[in-house]
Amino acid sequence: MLGKLDWSAIPFDQPIPLVAGAVVLVAILAVLIWVVVKGHLPYLWDEWITSVDHKRIGVMYILLASVMLLRGGSDAIMMRIQQAVAYQSQGYLPPEHYNQIFSAHGTIMIFFVAMPFVIGLMNLVVPLQLGVRDVAFPTLNSVGFWLTATGALLVNISLVVGEFARTGWLAFPPLSGLSYSPGVGVDYYAWSLQISGVGTLVAGINLVTTVLKLRTRGMNYLRMPMFCWTTLASNLLIVSAFPILTATLAMLLLDRYLGFHFFTNEAGGNVMMFMNLIWAWGHPEVYILVLPAFGIFSEVVSTFSGKALFGYRSMVLATMAICVVSFMVWLHHFFTMGAGPDVNAIFGIASMIIAIPTGVKIYNWLFTMYGGRIRFATPMLWSVGFMVTFIIGGLTGVLVAVPPADFMLHNSMFLVAHFHNVIIGGVLFGAFAGFEYWFPKAFGFRLDERWGKAAFWFTFTGFYVTFMPLYIAGMLGMTRRLQHYDVAAWRPWMIVAAIGMAVLSIGVICQIMQLVVSIRNREALRDRTGDPWDGRSLEWATSSPPPVFNFAFHPDVRGEDAYWDMKTRAQQQSFEHDVPEYQDIEMPRNSPTGFICAFFASIMGFALIWHIWWMVILGGLGAFATFVVFAWRDHDEYVIPAEEVARIDRINLEERRSLVSMAGAV
Amino acid sequence: MSDQTHIPTGHDLAPGEEEQHSVGERILGYVVGLVLALLLTATSFFIAGTDLVWQPSIPVALIVLAIAQMGVHLVFFLHITTGPDNTNNVLALAFGLLVVFLVVGGTVWIMSHLNGNMPPMDQIMRMRT
Ligand code: HEM
Ligand SMILES: [Cu+2]
Repeated sequence: MLGKLDWSAIPFDQPIPLVAGAVVLVAILAVLIWVVVKGHLPYLWDEWITSVDHKRIGVMYILLASVMLLRGGSDAIMMRIQQAVAYQSQGYLPPEHYNQIFSAHGTIMIFFVAMPFVIGLMNLVVPLQLGVRDVAFPTLNSVGFWLTATGALLVNISLVVGEFARTGWLAFPPLSGLSYSPGVGVDYYAWSLQISGVGTLVAGINLVTTVLKLRTRGMNYLRMPMFCWTTLASNLLIVSAFPILTATLAMLLLDRYLGFHFFTNEAGGNVMMFMNLIWAWGHPEVYILVLPAFGIFSEVVSTFSGKALFGYRSMVLATMAICVVSFMVWLHHFFTMGAGPDVNAIFGIASMIIAIPTGVKIYNWLFTMYGGRIRFATPMLWSVGFMVTFIIGGLTGVLVAVPPADFMLHNSMFLVAHFHNVIIGGVLFGAFAGFEYWFPKAFGFRLDERWGKAAFWFTFTGFYVTFMPLYIAGMLGMTRRLQHYDVAAWRPWMIVAAIGMAVLSIGVICQIMQLVVSIRNREALRDRTGDPWDGRSLEWATSSPPPVFNFAFHPDVRGEDAYWDMKTRAQQQSFEHDVPEYQDIEMPRNSPTGFICAFFASIMGFALIWHIWWMVILGGLGAFATFVVFAWRDHDEYVIPAEEVARIDRINLEERRSLVSMAGAV
Repeated sequence: MSDQTHIPTGHDLAPGEEEQHSVGERILGYVVGLVLALLLTATSFFIAGTDLVWQPSIPVALIVLAIAQMGVHLVFFLHITTGPDNTNNVLALAFGLLVVFLVVGGTVWIMSHLNGNMPPMDQIMRMRT
C-alpha cells in the first residue's frame, strides 16, 4: 500500500534533523494559521499564488531562494563546526549524517538558492527593461516557479521522512547506484532535480522567447541593457544544457528502478559516461549562474558611476563568447579520469580561453568607473567587492585548469575554495547587489543603507576568513568532504574557517535586520518617483512598484540607456509634451494551473521516491488533467479600462514632474 | 526586427508564419508531414533488419534517415522556413546544432580516449583477485 514507506523512515534516533524539522513545521503551521485567522488567504491566493504577473513570480522566486539560503547556510555552519572539532575524533556528526549534509548543502545552494535567485531577478526586471507589459508565456512562467518549489519541498521533506543522498551534490555512480546506495536518499535527490529541472527549462524557454520576441518600439538588440543580454545568454544555456541533466538523471533512475545498466559496473555499464554527461551540463551550469550576475554588475556599475557602460559592444561579444565556449571545457572537471594528454591539453587550453572574455568584462567595469562620479551605495559595494573577489577565484580557476596542477589539486580543499570563491564572490554577491538595487522597484521603498553596508562588510570579510584558509589546507593536502582527520597541520586552518563562518553569519543577520528595519521605516524610505538611483534603463521609467501593466504606453526607445536619454530630453523640453490618448490594456488572467500542477507533481515525486505506485498514477493523472483544463479555457485575458490606466499613470507623472522641476530649480 | 512589440493578432500563428493559411491547407501540411515521418520510420526499421543491401552501409543509411526525419519535423511541425521573420528560428537551430555537435563529438572523442587508456576488463578483474 505505501511502498517502502513505514515508521522506520522517521529518524527518531537522530535529534538534529528531527528537532530542526519540528521547528520548521511549527513555524510553517504558525504562519498558515496566522494567514487564515487574519483572513489573508484570499489575498495570498489571488495576488500571489495564482498570479501570472512576472514581477510577483520574480519576487516569489527570490523569497524561495532566500528561505533555502538559510537552510543551506545551516548545513554549512554544521559542516564548518564539524571540521573544526573532528581532529583525531569523530566530532559531533556521525559519518552517514555528515555525508547527507554536504550533499544537501551543495544541491540546495546550486539548485534552490543560486538558480531561483537569478531566475527571480531576471523575471522581475527583464520585461521592465525591455519596456513590455509581460513575459512571453505568463502561465508557463508560474508553472516553472511552482515546479521549482516542488523540488525544494521534496529536498526538505527528506530531512524528516527518510534520508537524503550521501553521494555529494552530483551523485556519481557507482556510489549512487542501487548496490551502494540502496536507500531512498539518491531517489529524493534525483526526483527533486527532475521536477525542478522541468521548471527551470520552462523558465528558460520563457525568458529566451521574451527577449527575442517582446521588445518595445526601437529596442533593437544593440540597445538592450546588458542585463537583458546576459539573460539571453544564460537562458540559451539553460535551454541547451538542462536537457542533458534531465537525460543523465533519467538514465541513473532507470538503473535504480528498472535494472538498467547505463552506469553500473556490471553488464557493460560505464560510470565514466556519467561523469562526462553530468559535467557537459555542469560546466554550462556555472555560467548559467554567473552570466546574469555579470549583467547585474554591469547595470549597477554604470548607474552608480553615472556613466554609460564602457565598451558595450565588447561586453555583448564577451557574453556571447562565454555562452559558446562554456560548452567546450567540461572535461576540466575530470582531468584525472585518464583521457590522456591530448584530450586534457585541449580542454585545459579551452578552459583558460574563457578567462579572456571574462577579463574583458572586468576591464570594462573598471573603465566604466574610471572618471565617473561614483556613489558607494550598497549595490555598488557588492559590485566592487565582487570585482576583487572574482579575480582571485578566476585566477585559481585557471590554475586548476592546468592539467598537471589539477592532478595535485583535484578534489582537494583548494578546489572547494575555488568554486566558493567564484560562486559566492560572483553569483551570490551579484544576487545581493541585484536585490539591493531592484528592491525599491519591486516594493516601492528603499532598503536601509546602514544595515546594508554592515551586511556587506561582514559578508565580505567573513568570506575571506572562511575560504582563504581552505586554499591553504588544500595545498597542505587536505581532500574535500572529510568527516574527520588526523593531520595536525590542517587543524588551525579549519578553526580559522569556522570563525570566518561566524562572521559570515553576522552578515546574514545584518541582511535580515536590514529587511526588518526597512519595512518598519518604509514611509520614510518611500520611493515616490520610481527612480531612486537616478537609473538609466527603462525599469526606472515606471512607478515603484510598477502597475500590473508596467507601462501605460510602450516607451519609444531611441538609443542605448533609454531612460537616461528620455530624462535628458525631458529636462530640456520639460515634461509638457502632449500625452497621447490612454487605451484599454489587456492583461493575462490569473491562473492556478502552476500551483495545482506542482501540487500533483509533489505527490507524484514523493510516491516515486517511496515506490507507491497507485499514488504515482494519481499524481500523474492530476497534473495532466490540470494541463488539459488549462489548455481548453476560453477567457485568458481581462481588460483594464483606459480611465483606470490614465488614473494610475497620472499619479506617477505628477511625482516625476515635480522631481524634474525641482532638479531644474537647483 | 526591431519593431517587435507584442501585437495581439487574434488568431494563432506559428512562429515565422506570415499570413494565415486556411484550415484545410494547414491540416494538409500536417498530414504530409505525418506521412513522411511514418514512411521514414518504417524504412529505418526495414533497413535495420534487411539483408537486401550491403551490410556495412546500414549504419550510414540509418544516420541519413534520422537526419531526414529531423528535417521533416523541423519543416512540417516546427515551421522552420526561410521567411524574413525566421532569422530567430534559424539562429536558434544553428545554436542547437552547434551544441549537439560539441557535446556529442566531444563525448565520442573523450570516451574513446578513456577506453583506449583503460586496461581491458579481464585484466582489471584479474587485478582484483
Ligand atoms: C576562468 C574561469 C574558470 C576556470 C578556468 C575554472 C576552472 C575550473 C576547474 C578546472 C575545475 C575543476 C577542478 C577539479 O575538479 O580539480 C573547476 C571546478 C569548479 N568550478 Fe570553476 N573555473 C572557472 C570559473 C568558474 C565559475 C565562474 C564558476 C561558478 C560560478 C565555477 C564553478 C566551479 C565549480 C562549482 C566547480 C567544482 C564542482 C565540483 O567538483 O563539485 N568556476 N573550475
Ligand atoms: Cu567547469
